[in-house]
Amino acid sequence: MYGGGNVFEATKFDDLQTEDPAKLAEFEARIARGEKIEPNDWMPQLYRKQLIRMIEQHAHSEIIGALPEGTWITRAPGFRRKMAQMAKVQDEVGHAQLLYSAAETLGKTREQMLTDLINGKSKYSNVFNYPAFTWADSNIISWLIDAGAIVNQMANAKGSYGPYSRALERICAEEAFHLKYGHDAVVHMATGSPKQREMIQAALNRWWPPIMTFFGPSDKMSTHTETLMRWKVKMASNDECRQQFLDMYVPKIWELGLTVPDPNLKKNMETGQWEYTEPDWDEFKRVINGDGPCNAERLAVRRTAEERGAWVRRALLNPKAKYVKPLA
Amino acid sequence: MSLKSLDPRVTRLNLPEEVLIIEPKQELDQFETYEAFHQKKEGAAYTYVGPVHAPNEDVAFLFAKEQYSRRFACVGIWVARTEHIQVTPYTNDGENVYDMMRVEEPAGRSEQPEAYEIFHLKKRGKAHAHAGRVMATSYQEALQEARKQYGEKGPIVNVWVVKSKHVLQSAEEDKDMWTTIPEKKYREAIAYRVMDKITKYKEENQTTAQ
Repeated sequence: MYGGGNVFEATKFDDLQTEDPAKLAEFEARIARGEKIEPNDWMPQLYRKQLIRMIEQHAHSEIIGALPEGTWITRAPGFRRKMAQMAKVQDEVGHAQLLYSAAETLGKTREQMLTDLINGKSKYSNVFNYPAFTWADSNIISWLIDAGAIVNQMANAKGSYGPYSRALERICAEEAFHLKYGHDAVVHMATGSPKQREMIQAALNRWWPPIMTFFGPSDKMSTHTETLMRWKVKMASNDECRQQFLDMYVPKIWELGLTVPDPNLKKNMETGQWEYTEPDWDEFKRVINGDGPCNAERLAVRRTAEERGAWVRRALLNPKAKYVKPLA
Repeated sequence: MSLKSLDPRVTRLNLPEEVLIIEPKQELDQFETYEAFHQKKEGAAYTYVGPVHAPNEDVAFLFAKEQYSRRFACVGIWVARTEHIQVTPYTNDGENVYDMMRVEEPAGRSEQPEAYEIFHLKKRGKAHAHAGRVMATSYQEALQEARKQYGEKGPIVNVWVVKSKHVLQSAEEDKDMWTTIPEKKYREAIAYRVMDKITKYKEENQTTAQ
């Protein structure tokens, strides 16, 4: 699962004039040759900052994204579904661990990242601020949110930073099961009783607007964006990811006789592009800044878990321990 | 007022409704880091899989097993504290780091030679793989030995050196811990076959993808 929709804001490090020109040229030449950057290499401040921000948000999205699905483990219908749901949630939490480590190699500690998550300073994917009312909501998340995540992650796995690519390779391999599991669950409901069909359609209606915002607003094509694309930090535009997602999954929704709650959604055969009602970006901004139906609950649950485990961590801590950031 | 959730277990926690700010977490709240290596199948070289955070070596091993062997074939795991691993500079792809670095004089030597494990990275972005074990009285001597024994076949862009005594290795007699029970097929994509259901549904209801 993934926190898509990265908004790459300009930072004070945008000014590349302050970087050593010889080192910058060497760095850019390495990326142009298709080589990966490893943690000890020289890198521009902008590259480091944007990667930390992006990988950290991705990690937070994995750990927070496990919450709406996690609440359905005990209520999943049947033993086999409980086991599968549990395995999926465990994978998501494992992905967070891999990603926190990748971000750590760039110099931000896991302690700092967790503090920033709980205090609302760092973001996570906005879709997880919405509630999963029924088992069908959980199915839609497993299928379509993970599908969106895979579109994003497959692109990012080809990025230039070694540790992030290594983590994503592993994550993508594990996600293959999530997608099939989610699809299977949705197909089961959609081809089941009238009540089951009604439930899955209602869940799809609830989740469609957040799904359309999943990849984030259209990118402003700025020098900043161009730089990040040249450095292979940003691998595809938000709109490209959204189009790819629609191309792959709208037909799969329609073949089940389900409808998408957007009367304007259609593929323009001339341009090859999907047309749709512009998502409500004001709501997106409001929710991402804290005012969504589940923001407070997600952070409170995370904070409580941290607080309740604190005494165990203190008891286990070796007094001679010394922090060294992970190698790769 | 306490927080009301759709999940009754969350509601029962009686959490405050407002967002609380926490003090910054203390250093090492998340423990030290260890690096983990796995063996995919019998006879294959141990390969780097990633870090774990843990309070000690044994817990690091358990975390690494859970994190890195849970989903894929694995017949062995090694863990070593990050602090104990010495790292050479990285070269460009296609080069051999042994040809380019100057090996410094060791600050100290052990009285008796001891075993060191050597890991090579062949290409940036890939994972370090175990090249072999050498006997030496210092990290520097271990590197020189490694160059003689394993350094000819380039490219090698980076080398990790760690004393064998600092690596916790899974034991031969514990091999059965890697056996995955077949009932866990629900974790594999291949266990989900939906096409039959979809085809049947489409035939009965005449839906199309367009």
